Amino acid sequence: MNPPDAAGHPAAGGPLDDVDLAILDDIREVFQAADPMPADLPERIRFSLALRDLEVEVARLAADEDQPLLATRGEEQSRTVTFDSDSLTIMIRIDSNTDGTARVDGWLAPAQHRRMEIKTAAGSLTTTADEQGRFSFRRVPRGTAQLVVRPAGEGPGGSGRSVVTPALIL
Amino acid sequence: MAVNDHWSSTVPPPLRGSDRNARMARLLTAARDGGEEAMGQIVADLSPLLWQVARAAGLSSGDAEDVLQTVWVRLLSHLDGIHTSAALTAWLVTTTRREAWRVRAVSRRQFPADQDWLTAVPDPAPDSEERAIARDQRRTLWAALSQLSPRCQELLRIVAFVARPDYATVAAALGIPRGSVGPTRGRCLAKLRALLPGDPEGSLP
Repeated sequence: MNPPDAAGHPAAGGPLDDVDLAILDDIREVFQAADPMPADLPERIRFSLALRDLEVEVARLAADEDQPLLATRGEEQSRTVTFDSDSLTIMIRIDSNTDGTARVDGWLAPAQHRRMEIKTAAGSLTTTADEQGRFSFRRVPRGTAQLVVRPAGEGPGGSGRSVVTPALIL
Repeated sequence: MAVNDHWSSTVPPPLRGSDRNARMARLLTAARDGGEEAMGQIVADLSPLLWQVARAAGLSSGDAEDVLQTVWVRLLSHLDGIHTSAALTAWLVTTTRREAWRVRAVSRRQFPADQDWLTAVPDPAPDSEERAIARDQRRTLWAALSQLSPRCQELLRIVAFVARPDYATVAAALGIPRGSVGPTRGRCLAKLRALLPGDPEGSLP
């Protein structure tokens, strides 16, 4: 057992004792209060993990987004969000419907025909992006949502990997 | 030391529990088999720790969120080699720390270092004597922490969020040696105890 040092303080090599454990509890509570994890983060992480297709490309919020955090969490009536991946840029505009759902209109660049899916806690909605890369989800339940861009079809015509966006809050 | 008794009731219960290892082992097995619910419980359990790891490395909130998402996605392809709660926690902590350093190295070119979290000590609402006592105790601890080296501040912040059963493994992964009878307090905690007024040794109830 390591004796305390000359000043009577416990030695570094000594075993953890109850005082150490109490201090660690206190440190945890200080940081829990000073810098808590955003409460909805585990939910958004779970949402991303649910998509286990490892062949996908993950899009990121575009670097030139003014307020990336506000863009995913803002509460204004209408907002636009841009995602970038290696092969694709996805721009969406989110508007409020009078019935409390959200309307999501978007554009793919470069313009291309793709199958589009939006995953929500209540299930998935699908649509297609036309040859100009435009797509629209008219009624999306509020809450966490994730966009998936899939190849338009099988074979050479359905080229391109799937692209997913990070989960965002509608 | 009865500091805990005075502090907020909004904090999760202490991370103890002898059945934690068995529970995490069960969840890991289920997650390996594709159990999304099990994976979700693991995420909920360990993300608060990883948040502190990322923030202690100096990341902004937004970067910390990105790093956590990245680390959890990466875990999916490493699940097969991880079978215990301690191994899982150690893998997540070291991977988060490494990824945080990488991101920080990139963002430091654009933004000055942000390591002033120590000045951000929160004040509980001054509405009771109990809260005033809690605030004083918190300030005392905060002041002692701020006298430690940045590395010690980071290590203590991380290990404070590690569940007791996983402490020894994670501490070892972070470079805190393990003694012959179990986890040691390590240099940083020993220093902190020396800085706290009237080292509470012997004053336990």
